[in-house]
Amino acid sequence: MAGQSRSPLQFFPYLTLAAFLVPVLLGLAGTWLPALGYLPTIGAKSFTLQPWRDLLDHPSLPGALSATLVSGLSATLLSVFISLWITTHLYKTASWSYIERALAPLLAIPHAAFALGLSFLVAPSGWLIRLVSPWLSGFAHPPDWSITGDPLAISLTITMIFKEVPFLLLLTIAALNQLDVRRTLWVGRSLGFQEFKVWTRLIIPQLYPMLRLPVLTVLAYSLSVVDLALIIGPSLPPPFAVLIDRWFNDPDISMRLVGGAGATLLFLLITVFITIFLLAERIVVMLSRPLLTNGRRRSPLGRMNQGARLAAITTMAASVLSFVLLVIWSFTGSWRFPDAYPQSLSLFYWTKSLPLVAGPLATAALVGVLSACIALVLVLGCLENERSLPQSRIDALSRGSIWVIYLPLLIPQIGFLFGIQTILVRLHLEGSWFSLVWIHLVFVLPYIFLTLAATYRTYDQRYAQVAAILSGSPLRSFFRVKLVMLAKPILFSLAVGFAVSIAQYLPTLYVGAGRFSTITTETVSLAGGSDRRVIAVYALCQFLLPFLVYALAIGLPALLFRNRQLMKN
Amino acid sequence: MLRSTVFIPVLIVCTLFFSTSHGQTPDWEEITRKAGGQTVYFNGWGGSDPINDYIRWAADQVEERYQLHVRHVKVSDIGEVVSRIVAEKSAGRDQGGSVDLMWINGENFNTMKQNNLLQPPYSQLLPNIALVDTENKKSTLYDFTVPVDNMEVPWGMAQLVFLYDQALMDTHPRNMMELLMFAKEHPGRVAYPLPPNFHGTTFLKQALLELGAEKDPLFKPVSEADFEAVTAPLWNFLDQLHPYMWRRGTAFPANGSELKRLLADGEIFIAISFNPAEASNGIATGELPDSIRTYVHDSGTIGNSHFLAIPFNASAKEGALVFANFLLSPEAQARKSDPAVWGDPTVLAMDKLSPEDKALFTATPRGIATLSAEELGAVLLEPHPSWVEALEKSWLTRYSR
Repeated sequence: MAGQSRSPLQFFPYLTLAAFLVPVLLGLAGTWLPALGYLPTIGAKSFTLQPWRDLLDHPSLPGALSATLVSGLSATLLSVFISLWITTHLYKTASWSYIERALAPLLAIPHAAFALGLSFLVAPSGWLIRLVSPWLSGFAHPPDWSITGDPLAISLTITMIFKEVPFLLLLTIAALNQLDVRRTLWVGRSLGFQEFKVWTRLIIPQLYPMLRLPVLTVLAYSLSVVDLALIIGPSLPPPFAVLIDRWFNDPDISMRLVGGAGATLLFLLITVFITIFLLAERIVVMLSRPLLTNGRRRSPLGRMNQGARLAAITTMAASVLSFVLLVIWSFTGSWRFPDAYPQSLSLFYWTKSLPLVAGPLATAALVGVLSACIALVLVLGCLENERSLPQSRIDALSRGSIWVIYLPLLIPQIGFLFGIQTILVRLHLEGSWFSLVWIHLVFVLPYIFLTLAATYRTYDQRYAQVAAILSGSPLRSFFRVKLVMLAKPILFSLAVGFAVSIAQYLPTLYVGAGRFSTITTETVSLAGGSDRRVIAVYALCQFLLPFLVYALAIGLPALLFRNRQLMKN
Repeated sequence: MLRSTVFIPVLIVCTLFFSTSHGQTPDWEEITRKAGGQTVYFNGWGGSDPINDYIRWAADQVEERYQLHVRHVKVSDIGEVVSRIVAEKSAGRDQGGSVDLMWINGENFNTMKQNNLLQPPYSQLLPNIALVDTENKKSTLYDFTVPVDNMEVPWGMAQLVFLYDQALMDTHPRNMMELLMFAKEHPGRVAYPLPPNFHGTTFLKQALLELGAEKDPLFKPVSEADFEAVTAPLWNFLDQLHPYMWRRGTAFPANGSELKRLLADGEIFIAISFNPAEASNGIATGELPDSIRTYVHDSGTIGNSHFLAIPFNASAKEGALVFANFLLSPEAQARKSDPAVWGDPTVLAMDKLSPEDKALFTATPRGIATLSAEELGAVLLEPHPSWVEALEKSWLTRYSR
């Protein structure tokens, strides 16, 4: 039985690997060759280290690197800290169910839209200051405060934290479902341990290994973010990824060589910091070992529920207010400082834009559904195939394959895509549905893997075995019992993948050859303009798709399994 | 008899007429015929809603008249498109390219021209090219001093103007030194976009043209000049200005659009634009307060043109020509110059137009905040493009640390 069902599954790891390795390797070559001075189109045919010299001589490099490292590292560490803080203090309290329900809509807000809303909230001419001006603040004109775009990248760091905390909380919840938290807490409490102590000593050590990859994703993302940095990041100098992006679009095409060198340097930096993170993790484990067994039952930190609640509320309030402000702007006629509300309202941009966004919405939805579904099939195939392997090989494989799967998230998109574009053009494949869905797949698959693997691997296989025995067919058991029991995490990972696809701007642009306009390409090109009203309408339309899909992913299992008590958890 | 004596000369005249015009008209007819049914992918900056609306209008017109389909590919930076064409060239794609027509000028044009990424000279094929004002609008022939050589079609005119809020200021500066004085009196209320952004670099060039003692070297390649000596007055000026600018010069708006948004929000009192009708258009769409007005500096401001160009490997070359010709028509140009639509000044010469076509322009309102041609004053020519990179590099070395 096992032999028969295994054979087709064997191909999945290879298929998945191919789906990844081909574009990733081409992309890397397309980045590394220019970095070494080889880009025949612009007449650069000799290998030289000149691009590296130009890169290291660039006046903005030191400042850009420090802006990137400070904001990226502090955003990652603080996001991890805050999400664990919220979890340990609020898990299964009255606030917890609100947090759980709020996560999906929070995640559905596109990064750029969130940053636009947030910058209008907190900017010197933003809503918070308008609310108190001039009656309280005395400001007839906005104050000249460095709130958004500050040179220390504090506002960029905070924006990233607001976006990453919900992501980490989501994956924490998924991981906690694998642990028997309730009983662990119960045992710990009965031994006289404060709940906080049970978390830090028993649960987090089990939880963190499952969060390792998401944390590294957050790290890589924070170090290479472009869109958020453009909206709310420092400008003089900008974060390193923005600088690279600029070099790749420089009117002087020889700057693409410097861009290639920069993209390679960023890739190396991300690799180095991931290594440092993994090493630091071991050191923390080593150092904390005596603490874990010192038998102390209470900690003053355990009483900081209020702090955790405040952190949760702030994260949510920032998102909700940013969203509300986008809604208000989309209906605004004119709105001047220091008025707290628009002077005039208008439906103009909605009525005008709705017929125009229908096509781009449909294109985005189709690419999103296709890439997410294909990615899901590949991930399920790989995970099912794992079961047939001995445990030691699974560990080795999952360790190895994870780095491959993560490559697209670790390489700065802009450098990687230029190489892919050249190859696709050579093969006459650019601007086709095939290559567009494929390139989306490359970015969607890691996230689907990320959100599904942990849950999937800890599925109690005995259910499937019993079902196989009863139904006489492993296939039927898989589809009718295992998939159904895992419907909730599967649908959720599908929604995450769909949302990731919707957010892709540069891949769509580079591979789509201008043949495909999605809601995101339309929104990003307008976001480069000045009119907040029309940007708000487009950003809300962009939010609509992931929001609907998240709602379906959560609502559908709840509806289908409303009569099955045990599946509600 | 009488009949034939009249008939024969008429016949001769007709034959002569058609044979001489054979080189022109039928060619264009042929192009128009081929264009029917083609799809033109028009790549351009998509950050402005009024401009996108205008392009959609033009696309509808050619769809109706020539059955030509135009798709506006909106990009946030035309550099992305240049990258794509570079990739196509490196892949040996000499035809069937993804871009048929693009909105371009300055350095990007220079790059494309030098790397043979454009069609061989073609703009002389367009019937409407004859209407372009090449005498008074020299920048339609020289794009940032680089000869256009019929490889671009002029589309619109630009001149650097300053926008200010009349409600907040009684008078406005008339030159760079007065701008510095204004900044000192109103700290934090002046900004310019971050070089190498186009608007930011233009501000530097304008300041250099105004403050520099020697102007001649600016119009020759920078390698022939004593860069430090020529630019010293500029750095001296910026060193004084930056501490009094928005965010004390520690942060700069990313581009002209962000600058405009800061003006609308009241964070800054003076902004710059390359479209003399930007203020009127912003007021018409409600984006800017209606107290915004326009001014220029007494010694004149930098002017240039923006263009349409067809890449070397365009798939729908005929369609691109027909669409470009339509965009150059008096009808399309007059509509474009309407501040309620876009407010982009025309490249056409009024004295070359028929009275009816001319009437289209005179019927177009100038807009409440737009200066007249006399008020706009002298147009300063762009320095040689090699200065752009040198200025940007030096600026970054000085201020980006």
